[in-house]
Amino acid sequence: MGAIDSKVVYEMVNRREVYRYLGIQGQMPDQSVCALVEEVLLELMQCMEPRTIYKVYDCDSVVDKLDKQRADTGLVKLYYAKQENPVMVIKSRNLADNLYQCTKVVLMAATLGVNVDKLLQRYEIIHMAKASIAQACGAACIEACCNLLQEQIRQQAAQQGLYLRPRFSAGYGDLPLETQKDIFAQLECTKRIGLTLTQSLLMLPTKSVTAFIGITENHQGCYIGKCASCNKVDCAFREM
Amino acid sequence: MRNLLGKEILFFDGGMGTLLQERGLQAGEIPETWNILYPEKIRQIHKEYLLAGCNIVKANTFGVNCFKCKEMPHSAEYTVESLVDSGIRLVKEAIVEVRQELHNNERPMYTALDIGSLGKLLKPLGELTFVQAYEAFREIVIAGDKAGADCILIETVSDSYEIKAAVLAAKENSSLPVIVTMIFDENGKLLTGGDVASATAMLEGLGVDAIGFNCGLGPEQMKNLLPQLTNCCSLPIVINPNAGLPVVINGKTVYNVAPKEFAQSVKILVEMGASVVGGCCGTTPEHIREVVTLCQNMSIQPISDKNLTVISSYNHAVYFTRKPLIIGERINPTGKSKFKQALRDHDMEYIYKEGLVQEEKGAQILDVNVGLPEIDEPQLMEEAVTGIQAIMDLPLQIDTSDTVAMERGLRCYNGKPMLNSVNGKKESMESVFPIAKKYGAVVVCLCLDESGIPETVEGRLAIAEKIVKTAAAYGIPKKNLVMDALVLTISTGAENANITLETLRRIRYEMGLHTVLGVSNISFGLPERSRINTAFFTMAMHNGLSAGIVNPSSEPMMAAYYSFNALIGEDEQCMEYINQCAQAADKTAAAAPTAKDKSLTLEDAIIKGLSESAYQATTQLLEQNIESLTIINDKLIPALDVVGKGFEEKKMFLPQLLMSADAAKASFEAIKEALSKQGRKSESKAKIVIATVKGDIHDIGKNIVKTLLENYGFDMIDLGKDVAPEKILETVQEHHVKLVGLSALMTTTVVNMEATIKLLRENGVDCKIMVGGAVLTQEYADMIGADFYSKDAMGSVRYANELYEAGEL
Repeated sequence: MGAIDSKVVYEMVNRREVYRYLGIQGQMPDQSVCALVEEVLLELMQCMEPRTIYKVYDCDSVVDKLDKQRADTGLVKLYYAKQENPVMVIKSRNLADNLYQCTKVVLMAATLGVNVDKLLQRYEIIHMAKASIAQACGAACIEACCNLLQEQIRQQAAQQGLYLRPRFSAGYGDLPLETQKDIFAQLECTKRIGLTLTQSLLMLPTKSVTAFIGITENHQGCYIGKCASCNKVDCAFREM
Repeated sequence: MRNLLGKEILFFDGGMGTLLQERGLQAGEIPETWNILYPEKIRQIHKEYLLAGCNIVKANTFGVNCFKCKEMPHSAEYTVESLVDSGIRLVKEAIVEVRQELHNNERPMYTALDIGSLGKLLKPLGELTFVQAYEAFREIVIAGDKAGADCILIETVSDSYEIKAAVLAAKENSSLPVIVTMIFDENGKLLTGGDVASATAMLEGLGVDAIGFNCGLGPEQMKNLLPQLTNCCSLPIVINPNAGLPVVINGKTVYNVAPKEFAQSVKILVEMGASVVGGCCGTTPEHIREVVTLCQNMSIQPISDKNLTVISSYNHAVYFTRKPLIIGERINPTGKSKFKQALRDHDMEYIYKEGLVQEEKGAQILDVNVGLPEIDEPQLMEEAVTGIQAIMDLPLQIDTSDTVAMERGLRCYNGKPMLNSVNGKKESMESVFPIAKKYGAVVVCLCLDESGIPETVEGRLAIAEKIVKTAAAYGIPKKNLVMDALVLTISTGAENANITLETLRRIRYEMGLHTVLGVSNISFGLPERSRINTAFFTMAMHNGLSAGIVNPSSEPMMAAYYSFNALIGEDEQCMEYINQCAQAADKTAAAAPTAKDKSLTLEDAIIKGLSESAYQATTQLLEQNIESLTIINDKLIPALDVVGKGFEEKKMFLPQLLMSADAAKASFEAIKEALSKQGRKSESKAKIVIATVKGDIHDIGKNIVKTLLENYGFDMIDLGKDVAPEKILETVQEHHVKLVGLSALMTTTVVNMEATIKLLRENGVDCKIMVGGAVLTQEYADMIGADFYSKDAMGSVRYANELYEAGEL
């Protein structure tokens, strides 16, 4: 854990994701837009300071198979290894489904750092078009950063014959945003990677992600993820 | 304690967290609550550290502040005051007990009020204002002082702005010694970008008693960082490392450098220049015992004054050295009618752009002057400083003669500032020096006094001496003074240049002070001013000018600057000079208009999103005497409509919409300039208030909408982000606005949107309310009583235009 190379993030950023965040789907954007995207990505690469942190916990996920709708039909408990009392207890059907049959779970946090926010603020004053592109690029970059971290974890898990579930964050489905408070306390985000949480549960710096990543022996259910598993079908940014 | 700092080696205690966990602290339980729940356990730990030989014990108050207290259970019992009071008291009790047990009254034993980070980012990146941070720290300081702390330790803060708020709170509310240790990463950077040099400059300026590092790294890593500090620090150095780097075992974070190994590394730190050492996370009384045993008889290196004239921004320091510096002069209304108008219109964007241009052209420092009689200068100075430092990292020179504006600007400045100016008049020195001292500013001193500007070199030098002497009485050392030898035009006195140059030379090389000049005054009244200015600039630099206040956009001046640096050997392999030549050549090539550009109509330029071409095309139309209103209604708006329609039909997308908006903006600039030349102002359709609601700091959507509505002729009153419902109500009532736009991103903040709408309706305000933001839906908008839900950027434009055409605005 720790720092991730911004150059690698730059190379791994999925350009299609950037276009999707800009509202452009199913087609290539105009040449001028593509050029601006590349220009902004380079600038982001130079100012981002990707930092990550994660911890591994034993996990216990219980779902009420009969009633799939209510939030309190799913319960997830996280434990320090070989301890009796859980350190985190979460009521969420969607999280419980995501972590179903997972023996362990990774709790992770990642951020691109404050300089990215500074760049965004600068653009908002002098170059609105670049500002909107930088927003999209920033979002894609933090996702790429998380993917890189997840890949590291996946390799470690694979050595033990284990698989990773798609990452699942607070605010997805019925996993309440309030969960962030516990996540921040567990990972000591502020002290370790300078990630803070505001009163309204917003993360600052803004290009940041926290998530649960389930680890399981069960191969199934490990490919479905992201938009396909979300029930907001009228979202403007839904992946096609 | 101040007498011992830097003269004798002193030892801090070690970490508390791990020890508490061993004694039963549960995961998620807040350590400071044990001051009240299990005081005997806390006192015991303090005793163990004292018995191990330490001198300074940190009270168990690290996480105590008003924000964290709110989140503690049974919050009525746990107040800042009660937790700080109990924390300090427990250390003092431990000291008394240990003195009795050891029969020792000689070893110094001190109680440190331990202040940690508030855990929140400060504005403009975060939600906390500087004042709110200051107030939070102030509360802690007052409680600690009252409880009898011997010193204040501000530690583990990784944002220079937050550190400043804490230090000011400490110095303004107590007279205790202040020690600041910061958490840097392996690269020597603070989280918000500061480095060792910039942080040290700021802290020395603010008058702390000792500076250092803590946490984040083990002693081995801090060894690599320490030289950066010893190179620039003129104060005693404090190091409290972790017991190595953290390792996660079974979900728990552990630090595993053993006590003897730890002590060996710390010994080297003392040899390198640290005079106060202890431990942070993972260290135990055993670690401290080993450190004390190994180091207690070591003699420490005396601290030498590095005599650096330095200023800093939030992320880097700028030193005054043999190589001259450029202070960009453009943010100054004197003689600039456009700038004056921008100030009256509160057009902060204009100011920021001037800053950015100067940075691009090579300025290392920016002068900031917003003095205009009819505006609220102190307020504007604060806004200018906070706004500029939010988007740029150049150190600033606060330029004003209004001491209220001076204090406002210096106080909110993130770093060690430069201050322009003080002069030899008694009144000036008495009013400016205290302010400069408090904020650690490097002060520009003008060599004039009650008798005016001396006509002789001796006269000016005498005033310089007077200023230095008076400054010393205020505790301001020579290194924080920069002399302005004053420049009078040669058109009124043939010797004026010689006098300035000779004064400059003697101040710099005989008196040993750095110098600054407002170079362009030399040519006032003469034609082709830049020729004289450039020649004089070179002569001045040759005679000891440390920094010139010039216009970085002036190519001849910058050419002279880069040439000079290359000539005196301050430009390695002439690289800067070569680069600047290349940039100038590029610019000439780019500026040459091509045939293709010339043929673009305004409509095409807008649709293609080409700002330069839009500007040119508009200028051409204006030159053909076409009315501006015609240009706007017959060409500009239809072009924007095409793009807007393309956006709605998903043939064009947000970036193009915004590039077109930028092009339209450029066109408007041309029109505005033409109109103001005729003494007219552009008309607007109606006023609209726009804001991101309370608790939410996402504003890009709002800013996009604002840009588009401006293009369509509306006068936007942008209240910014995190805006309280009351402020929106007040503004709407004051300006009789009929349309309000509200934006929110999150489920947690959209409730404030509802509250805002409710407040407006309850107060009988006759206005329409449109809402937007990722979290909104049509149903929710209907539910909270909004008049219109704008699901994309163009929606708000359509709605506003509809209302306007129906005469409702």
